Formats: sequence, C-alpha cells, structure tokens
Amino acid sequence: MTINDHRIKTPILEVRDLAISYKTRKGDVPAVRDVSFEIHRGEAHGIVGESGCGKSTVAFGVVNFLGRNGRIVGGSILFQGQELRGRSEEELRRLRGDQIAMVYQDPMQALNPSLRIGDQLSEVLIVHRGLSKEEAYDKCIDMLNRVYMPDPEVVMERYPHQLSGGQQQRVVIAMALLNNPALLIMDEPTTALDVTVEAAVLDLIDELRREFDTAIMYITHNLGVIARVSDRAGVMYAGEMVERATVEEVFLNPLHPYTQGLMRCVPKLGLSKESSYLYPIRGRVPSPAELPPGCIFEPRCDHVRPQCGQTHPELREVAPGHFVRCSFAEEIAAQEWQPPEDLIPDLAALVARKAEAAEPILHLQNVRTYYEQERKSLTSLVGLGKKQYVKAVDDVSFEIPKGCTLGVVGESGCGKSTLAKTIVGLEPLTDGKVEFLGFDISVPVSDRDLELIKELQMIFQNPDSTMNPSFTVGHQIGRPLRRFKTVPRGQVRGEVIRLLEAVKLDESYYDRLPRQLSGGEKQRVGIARAFAARPDLVLCDEPVSSLDVSVQAAVLNLLLEIQQRYDTTMLFIAHDLSVVRFFSDYVAVMYLGKFCEIGPAEAIYAPPYHPYTEALLSAVPIPDPSAKQKRIRLSGSVPSALNPPSGCRFNTRCPRKLGDICETEEPPYRDAGGGHRIFCHIPLEELRKLEPIVTVKP
Amino acid sequence: MLVKDYMTKHPLMVQPTISVVEAQRYMGENNIRHLPIVGKGKRLLGLVTRQTLLVHPATLGSLNVWEITRFLSDLTIGDVMVKAKDVITIEKDATIEEAARIMVEKKIGCLPVLEEGVVVGVITEIDLLAELMEMMATRVSGVRVTVRMPDQRGELAKLVSAISAQGWGILACGGVPSPKDPGKWDAVVKIRDVPKEEIVAALEKVEGQEIVDVREI
Repeated sequence: MTINDHRIKTPILEVRDLAISYKTRKGDVPAVRDVSFEIHRGEAHGIVGESGCGKSTVAFGVVNFLGRNGRIVGGSILFQGQELRGRSEEELRRLRGDQIAMVYQDPMQALNPSLRIGDQLSEVLIVHRGLSKEEAYDKCIDMLNRVYMPDPEVVMERYPHQLSGGQQQRVVIAMALLNNPALLIMDEPTTALDVTVEAAVLDLIDELRREFDTAIMYITHNLGVIARVSDRAGVMYAGEMVERATVEEVFLNPLHPYTQGLMRCVPKLGLSKESSYLYPIRGRVPSPAELPPGCIFEPRCDHVRPQCGQTHPELREVAPGHFVRCSFAEEIAAQEWQPPEDLIPDLAALVARKAEAAEPILHLQNVRTYYEQERKSLTSLVGLGKKQYVKAVDDVSFEIPKGCTLGVVGESGCGKSTLAKTIVGLEPLTDGKVEFLGFDISVPVSDRDLELIKELQMIFQNPDSTMNPSFTVGHQIGRPLRRFKTVPRGQVRGEVIRLLEAVKLDESYYDRLPRQLSGGEKQRVGIARAFAARPDLVLCDEPVSSLDVSVQAAVLNLLLEIQQRYDTTMLFIAHDLSVVRFFSDYVAVMYLGKFCEIGPAEAIYAPPYHPYTEALLSAVPIPDPSAKQKRIRLSGSVPSALNPPSGCRFNTRCPRKLGDICETEEPPYRDAGGGHRIFCHIPLEELRKLEPIVTVKP
Repeated sequence: MLVKDYMTKHPLMVQPTISVVEAQRYMGENNIRHLPIVGKGKRLLGLVTRQTLLVHPATLGSLNVWEITRFLSDLTIGDVMVKAKDVITIEKDATIEEAARIMVEKKIGCLPVLEEGVVVGVITEIDLLAELMEMMATRVSGVRVTVRMPDQRGELAKLVSAISAQGWGILACGGVPSPKDPGKWDAVVKIRDVPKEEIVAALEKVEGQEIVDVREI
C-alpha cells in the first residue's frame, strides 16, 4: 500500500480499441487499428515505433487534430473518465486549452516566428484564463524560471529565431505547462536536439512530471529516450500496438518478435564492440493499404508458423501488466534467438578484421578552414576593417590507416561536416596540409585530377536532397561509372545492377525514380553511387541519422560489408556515440573546430576521458533501463565559433575546469598510449581515475 | 506539509452544462464524492457533493408524473450546484492544519484548492487522514510508545535524549494535550528495530514521566 492508495483511480487518459482512418483517393486507409492503453496521473507512458506506424496519429486522434481527411472510426478515448469522441468543437477546444497540452517535434514550427516569446507565452494565459497583460507577464517569467531558462526577462523580448534549439524547446514546454494541464502529449520533443541538450530537456521533463503530477504521453522512435523517461511503454507496428508493459519488461524481457528485433537493431553503449553487432529486421513495414491477412508482422517474423498467416492475433495479457499481440509469445520467449544463418559468416569476418598496422592513406596536418564573416562597420565597407572569421575547423591533425574507419563525433556546429567537405574539396582550405595516398590534395575539387576525385567519394546525410528527382536510379548510379570510365561503356548497365545487388536491391530498381523508394532504399542507392567509382576513401556524413532503427542497422551492416569487400577507408561522421562505437576503429571527439580526444574506439569509451567526451557519454540515452549512467550535464550551448573562448575551447562549459590555466593556455595533448591522445590540462593520472560513465550488468 | 503537497492534483471536474443524471453517473463510475464545476480556464463555478444531488421532495411536490421526468432530465448540474460564492475554498500554499481547521469548523469534507481563482486541486478529509497516517509512520513496523509527561518546557527533550542515549532513532513523533489529565501532555514516539522490552526498560527510567501505552505495530 502506498500513500496514494486513496487517490482517484480513474486514468487521466484511457484509449480503448481506437481506430483511425484517412480518406485518400484509393479509399480509406486504416492508419491506426485496435489501439488500447491508459495513462495514470503523474505517469509517463512511452509510445515507440518506426516512422509511419501511427504513433503521431494516435496523439492527433486524442486532441482531434487529424485534419480534414482523418477521422476516428472506432473505439473510444476517455479523458478523466469523460468520452472525447463526439464532443463538439467548442468543448474540445476548451478542454485542449485547459487540460491537455501538446509539444511537437520541431520547436521552431510550434512558435510563431513573427511574435516575441513574451507575447506568445502570455497569449495562452490571456485567452484561456482571462488574465491581464501584467499578470500574465509575471506568470510567464515564473514559468520560464521553472524550466531553467537563463535570463527570462531578456528571453521574453526575443523572437524565436534568436534562441537556440534547446531554448526554443524549453519555451514550448513552458507554454504547454502554463495552464497546468492534466495530460501532456509530447511528440518527439527531443529528436531535433543535440544529445547534450536532449539529456537536459529529458531531465527537465522528468522533474516537471513529478512536480506538476502531469500525465505524459511520450512519443518517440528512440528506444534509449523511452528507457530514460517512461514508466510504461507501448510498441507500435504498422498501426497496431504489438506490446505494452512496464519499461523494464519491454526492454529486458520483450515477448513480441518485433520488439525483440528492435532491441537487436539498436547499437548499445557499454558493451564491447564484438557483442554489439546489429541484426536488422528483414523486409519492410507493410503499407496500411496492403496489410497481410493474418498477423501483421508475419512476413518479417523469424518465428513464423502456419497459423500466423491466417489468424489475426489479439492483444492479450501474457503476464500481469504485460500485453502482447502474438499467438506464440510464451514459446518465443523461451527460445534462444539465433542470428540468421546468412549473417553469421559476414559478422565472423568482421571480427576477424583487425588492423594489422596498415599504411596511413589520409594524412591531415594542422588543417584550418575559416569562413569569412562580413562586418557591417563602415571601415569594412571600404575594405579596411579587420576581417572576422568563423573558425569551423581549427588546427586539426590526424591520419587514417588504409582500410580503417575513423568516427568523428560532436554536437551540431562543431565543424564535423566542414571537416569532411574540406577533405573532399568542397570547401577551400585556409591553412595546413591534406595528403591522400601521398598526393597533396589541399586544392579545391575543381582543380583536382579526375583520378583523384574518383578515389574520394562522399555519402550524404539526407538521401532525399542528394538525388536528382527526375533521373532514374540506374542513371544516377551509372553516372560516376561513365564519368570515371570505371567500366567500358557497354558494361555500365551490368555494373549498375551488380552494385544494386551489392546494396541488397534488385534489378527492378534500375528504372525507378527516387520518389518510388523508401528512405532506407534511397540511402542504399546513395551508397551504391558512392562505391560505384571504387574509391579508396569514402566520407560518410551522418549517413544513418535520418533513418529508422531497423533500417539504420541494415545500412550500417551493409556499409561494413562493402568496406570489407573493397578494403575501403572511411571517415564516419555521426552525433550518436553508440553508432560510432559499433562502426569505427578510431574515434575522434570534436568540439568547436578542434579535436579534444582521438584514439582507438575502445579507448574512447573507457577512462581516461576528456571531460567533454565524459559529458557526451553521460548524455547518450541508453536503451537499457538496467544500465547505470553517471549524470553529468553541460550548461549552456556551444559558444560561437566566430569568437571562440580563449585557452581551452571547452573551458566555458567544462565541469572539471581547473582554473585560470584553462582560460589562458591551449591544452597540451597527453598521450594515453596506443595512439590515444587527450587535449586537456588535467594530468592523465587524474583522468585515469575517473569512474566509467556507463556500467552495464553482464 | 502544505496543502499543495497533499491535495489531489488534476481532479475530475465537469462543466455546468452537463445534466444531473450524467454527473451522478460520472461520480459513481469514478467513485468520487465531490465534484468541482468549472468554467473557462478552470475557474471555479461551484461544487456538488452526493448530498447536493439529492433533489428536495418539496420541489417535486407540485409537479405531476410527466412533469417530474421532464424536470429531472432538464436539470443541469449548474442548477443544483453550490455556487462558487458559497463554496469554502483554500489556497494551495496554506498549511494542512489550516485545511483541517476549516473542515472541522465548517463540518465539511472537501475543499477545492485554488490558485488565483483557478482550481488546481481538491483536498478532502481522506487526504488529511492519509497525512496523519504518514506522520505516525503507520506503514513501517516498529514499537509505538505513548508517554504521559507534565506540560512543562524540557520534558520532551528529556524523553528524546533518553532515546538517543541508547543510540535509537525516532521514526515518528507527535504530541497532544492529555485528553483525560489536564496539565499533562501525551507524546507518542515510534522506534524501529528495537525490542519492546528494551524500550520500556529505558523509558521507565525517565523521571516524572509514565508510559501509558506500548504496542508493536
């Protein structure tokens, strides 16, 4: 029994057998079917699933925000025991304003760019509560203080674009909490934020939940975030809820084959590299218009039985509080899962691949890339003023041995992409030297030899914007083949098909247009195109950040496999430390244009740490509720690269700052052995004594 | 120990337009005895309890059978509620003793908790009893001793120092003027992880105080 036993038992939100359809030209598309869950007071309920599985549709259904073509076709939504379906617009509007609030993914879109923050915030109180302007203003300041916004008075006078992403999201959360809602719906509130900012926002959400006793419906695709914020979670797949239980149960004892598959797809931090291979789920999510007749997961399931194709399983309670939509959940749970046969040899080969000391293929020495910034003073107008520079990459040196991968991590705006662009020749070098295969490649790409361009290829973050929408896939992959004359003209088609097969797509993709491909498929085409010229070095700029976990796992494995086959060297940029660990031989941590730590991948994830690496590791959401993670939070955001802090660049945010020395002197590099270098004033012995950030129970 | 820590936040509330029948069903389904009625911006308009919902027979006396049905089905919660001006409320930063005092004096079981006219919670007698239960650490097992002492300065300190001299910790402690013995004070202490006999032996030695009740809970 607890102190709250006498409280009202009615859930804040109870969704029963909810079904939502969208009207389209091809008829009704059942986007959500048979979804049930409940959220109690002060509880955070996570809803997790891949894109297009209906997570957001459920949320929009609750607030009746489905748009013109969407409508609830079945089931009921009870808010505090009162039915929301069939209410009048006016009643719903009042309820939404007074008792239900929603936070969306992109804070910039939730805020009106042409209104000051203060006006937007106080509008909520003026409209819904009828407060006077002055009263509302004071309340808004209070609330901004509550969400730990520095200088709330100043922020009230600003426009949204003058705030950083993390600050904007704080404003949106403050706005949502102004009316003290009973239910807060958060739709991917931290997806657009950096890990360090995300960690701070998640802490804030957790604290506010306890203080305001608000029930939270937390929607995300990130399993790590769910493990950190929620008490219970539901896993959605293709419009249905396939599993629902406490977070511990979902992560440590998943019973549905899809949930189990998802867990094997996420890179895990804390385990050794060998044990962190990813096993993608084969196939793809069925479109809601063409659902399989039986179990919706049947076409992709590893445990499939004859009945699965015929009967549609119901969500049933397998253990107390643990609901699963699978007819054979008990038997599946008891079985040891074995990776599919065809994956084993590949993975074994990957383990075998160990760097016998290879020759460095790429060598960077004191590389600097500055962007000139215009000033508006009169002297600069006539060309006499002192020039200002954004020091995007400042004095970076490293080398990559042939056939190895260097992972580069850091927050957004730290110069990772500029580094890649500089190497590939898209940005002119300001100073320093880049050597590739012994050739000097400090010149822009337009002055480079065709042979050299061929050896250096790039895979971009967003496959949508890097493909020409009006050319077929075959044409786009064939272009580098023709341009670099990799194969004779007559054999281009054959070679393209071979490449398509290498990225696990078949010949039928040759004549398709980019819009006929899913995100994961587009990224595969991007990879095929990069590898078409058989390059020696491939620069990958966040190639998997825009992809779903199961697709991400497949693409990462594919990259590894291709790298293996062609002995390609790679520079892999990511903001996710867990992905980099799985993928790289060496890891460099970048902050504000400089490396603060570089070394073999294993060494980066154990002490000695650079204080920045330590903070980054502490911020990564780990998809394992049993893992212990030490809590270090960085304050503030990355300072402007226009005017970086003197001395150690990290000194303004460093939790282990020593004193004046950090502000005046550039930190020396300390060699921790095995090529592991740390740029910090703190002596190595002390850094060695740091406790590991992440400890996982074996 | 303020009202805001013990109240039920986000209480179930309804709009004044719903019918009495619906409100009765709603209260029954969710097992609540008090229902605040709110308007725009969660401003308090009134309160109903199960008693308020009982229609006075005199009102119905002049109506015939058909009129009664009509009358009842048209009756909204706004018609029968205790209007906001007559509802006794409390601010969320008040102490719970204050809430208890008001409830005892007015002989009522529920106070809507307001913050500038907006309902932020509800505190009922059950919440206060839960608080009393917590204060006496009812959910933890230990030995509960009632000691009667003269109503003088320094007496409680004597008791406490006798306990701490043994190295024991006090789980909960409370005191009231002795109900049967004017000029005396009854203090209740709860001690964990110590056998009853040892406690009695130690506390008997305290001068001028007597143990009136010992029990293991």
